[in-house]
Amino acid sequence: MNKKNWQIPITIVLVFLGVLLSAQFQTQARVLSDLSMQKTEDLIAMVRNLSDKRMQLERELRETQTKLRDLRNSTSDEQNIKNNLLAELNRLKLINGAVEVKGPGLRITFYDNSPILYVDIVSMINELWAAGAEAIAVNNVRINVHSSFFYTETENDMFITLNHQPLSYPITITAIGDPNTLEKGLTLPGGIIDNLALFGAFPILERKEEIIVPAVETPPVFIEAEIAKKP
Amino acid sequence: MWLPLLGLLFGAIIGSAISFEIPVVYVKYMSVAVLASLDSVFGGIKAVLEDTFDGSVLLTGFFTNALLAALLAYLGDRLGVDLYMAAVFAFGVRLFQNLAAIRHYLLDRHIKNYKERLEK
Repeated sequence: MNKKNWQIPITIVLVFLGVLLSAQFQTQARVLSDLSMQKTEDLIAMVRNLSDKRMQLERELRETQTKLRDLRNSTSDEQNIKNNLLAELNRLKLINGAVEVKGPGLRITFYDNSPILYVDIVSMINELWAAGAEAIAVNNVRINVHSSFFYTETENDMFITLNHQPLSYPITITAIGDPNTLEKGLTLPGGIIDNLALFGAFPILERKEEIIVPAVETPPVFIEAEIAKKP
Repeated sequence: MWLPLLGLLFGAIIGSAISFEIPVVYVKYMSVAVLASLDSVFGGIKAVLEDTFDGSVLLTGFFTNALLAALLAYLGDRLGVDLYMAAVFAFGVRLFQNLAAIRHYLLDRHIKNYKERLEK
């Protein structure tokens, strides 16, 4: 047997076989991982597993979305309530004079030694309220539910007092509201200006684009009073 | 003795280094071709053991068998006949026959050697 004779052809053939085999192995590995080449049972199991998982995930998603919606609703409710309360608070502050307010309005000035009594100021203010004034201050002191006008006398003079503090001339009444309406309310024939004119007092009325009415210095305190009937 | 095995190893290394990208559609033909070449190789080994070895027969047999097997499988697919199965069957049977023959020859030789040694 000629050894050389059989070894060389077989080696050549085996080299090719090796190439083919490794190529085939690689391809086969690729094919096996390919879905279309897998067993039907495996594929069914895989599909079942995946659809189970998917259903579970969908359920989870639904739950999470419900939770999210709930949370969002509750927060939006809270936000609404908060906003409403804030708006209400601001309105009440405005009414009670707890905040400084500004707006168009009327300024009435009594210059030195106008022959007026405290009731004239009160009438004036009542008239302004009636004419639609929204905030009034006298000598830069906000008029609110507790404001009180009176008078105090010294030996040779008399002062009008507001909240027990004497008012010094010139007495300025500032009112926020529609300037025209306020003015008309005061100047209508037989109105308070006419009345004052009879006594020789001639207040100056000025319409203003912007009037600033300060906040109440000491807000009212309720110690004894409480709400009698819950709304 | 070791040269053919080295050749196989060398071929395998080349094959994995090149990393063929055979389209999945042709994998079937490729596998038939591989089967045919395996059969040829074992046939060659058998021929060596039988002392009827012819290098040119092996080489031509190897390539033509592989190509024809792949071609027949392809043709079968075109015709709608599973010639692929026929090739697998034919080559499979021949492969086992060759392997059995190789086993027989090796066994015979071993027994003969053993007996000769016993007779000594």
